[in-house]
Amino acid sequence: MVFNSFNFVAFIIPVLLLYWVVFKRTKTLQNIFLLLASVFFYVWADWRFLVLLVTSTLVNFYLGLKIHETEEDRKRSIYLYLGVIFNVGLLLYFKYFNFFYQGFFELLNFFGVESSYNSLTILLPLGISFFTFQTLGYLIDVFNEEVEPTKDFLDFSVFVAFFPKILSGPIERAAGFIPQIQEKRVLTYNVFVDGLRQILWGLFAKIVVAENCAAIANPIFNDYQDKPGSVLLLGTFFYAIQLYADFSGYSNMAIGISKLFGIQLMRNFATPFFSTNISDFWRKWHISLTTWMLDYVFTPLSFILRRHQKKGLIFSIVITFVLVGFWHGANWTFVAYGLLHGIYFIPLVYKGKMNSSEIVAKGKQIPSLKELSKMIALFILIMLTDVFFRANSVSHALDYLKRIFSFSIVDVPNTILNTTTLVTIVLIFFFVFIEWINRERKHDFEINSYNIFIRWGSYILIFLLLLFFGRSAETFIYFQF
Amino acid sequence: METSLVKEKVSNVLVSVLEHNNFEMHDELTAKDVDGWDSLSHMMIITKIEEHFGIKFKLRDLNKLKNMGSLINVIQSKI
Repeated sequence: MVFNSFNFVAFIIPVLLLYWVVFKRTKTLQNIFLLLASVFFYVWADWRFLVLLVTSTLVNFYLGLKIHETEEDRKRSIYLYLGVIFNVGLLLYFKYFNFFYQGFFELLNFFGVESSYNSLTILLPLGISFFTFQTLGYLIDVFNEEVEPTKDFLDFSVFVAFFPKILSGPIERAAGFIPQIQEKRVLTYNVFVDGLRQILWGLFAKIVVAENCAAIANPIFNDYQDKPGSVLLLGTFFYAIQLYADFSGYSNMAIGISKLFGIQLMRNFATPFFSTNISDFWRKWHISLTTWMLDYVFTPLSFILRRHQKKGLIFSIVITFVLVGFWHGANWTFVAYGLLHGIYFIPLVYKGKMNSSEIVAKGKQIPSLKELSKMIALFILIMLTDVFFRANSVSHALDYLKRIFSFSIVDVPNTILNTTTLVTIVLIFFFVFIEWINRERKHDFEINSYNIFIRWGSYILIFLLLLFFGRSAETFIYFQF
Repeated sequence: METSLVKEKVSNVLVSVLEHNNFEMHDELTAKDVDGWDSLSHMMIITKIEEHFGIKFKLRDLNKLKNMGSLINVIQSKI
């Protein structure tokens, strides 16, 4: 049940009414109801993995308590390792088994041992990459005494399964999420309306921007061999926008829906394309994943390697980004994607500008020429790297890139010169414009401080754009991860 | 060791790693407030502090470092 479906509307309206009218009296009632709704939502999406979700919740709840109550350091570590093995094991089995299985046989063949294999049919449980990271982060936080484990199984279950975020994040942290459900939530007009706004903007990003870009990019990527370099280059442009609009749109909807229940999820995108270097970009792109990797992979790794200074740091960054890439799926394309992003950091390490992250042209209306050229250069780099994200295999990606950088890059891109492309470009301009003017705000469409005419004018305009240019969409790119 | 002495030593480490002294030592000071205090210089600062005070940090200590005050506390608990 995707957020942009009538099924979801039919689900969410009664759920909201019951939540705020019937189950509003205590936090326990609210949580019981949220858990029921979440289980219903998950079962509706795919009933087969409910047992897995329940098992994961039970095991992590138990281990969290055990880590907390054990005094002896060695035993605490054992409980943590069990948790790591359990969570990573689930991911490895369901997501990466065939990748390593196949790799093993290819290695045998490479060394001359003739062998054949049949890959196993393993279904990928919905949301597994998201909820396992969330529970793993929880155990590490408890181990590091960053958070106290909750003793209430109901609270913990809602933390794991809360339906707006179960399928594709944001990957929440216990410290941010659990305290919110330990208190009774009260309906506030401002938060509710802000949630609705964020949903509207997410919907626009998804079904207008992402889907129209997809309609142009898909045919190009699917049959790239017979197209000139100029068309392939434009294909990467539309794909880069599609990927961003798809996932940031999903995230805005998830965060907006949560707000309707009085729960604040973490920000997942902060207008990442308005960045002047790669470090800045990753601080604004899929924030819940990158901060996770920063805290649980990069920091420990760079700490261990601290005596190696720059080399240690570069190694830690590259490993972290290879894992960021690999998290997306069991394919060398994602490894290549992560590896390239890791490599892009190296000049920054030498320049000592690793942590420079700021809002571009803060307090001003337009960026300086220098800022603009840096943003464009960075965008082009990311857009070309996204070819690895989109391609089915590394050789396919390399072939695609090779064909871009050929003499046909100057050909007139006839095949896509049509009204649909033109309209999509205008829609992208509108999308980028709104994101630009709101780049200093808490989310892309936080327009509560504008006057009533601008606010309602925007709602009506976006509603009309949804009506005329929206395309139906059955899924989101990130559901496959 | 007295807090003021620990502070002074830490301040010297910062100056030697960051190569400037445009910061004021107070308990609420964070890496964000200081120019050039990024992930790399952070690890260099940690290493230098370990050498200076003859102590060893654990990863768990690192997570507790929220500002200058907590850094000074962690150092004092180890010497």
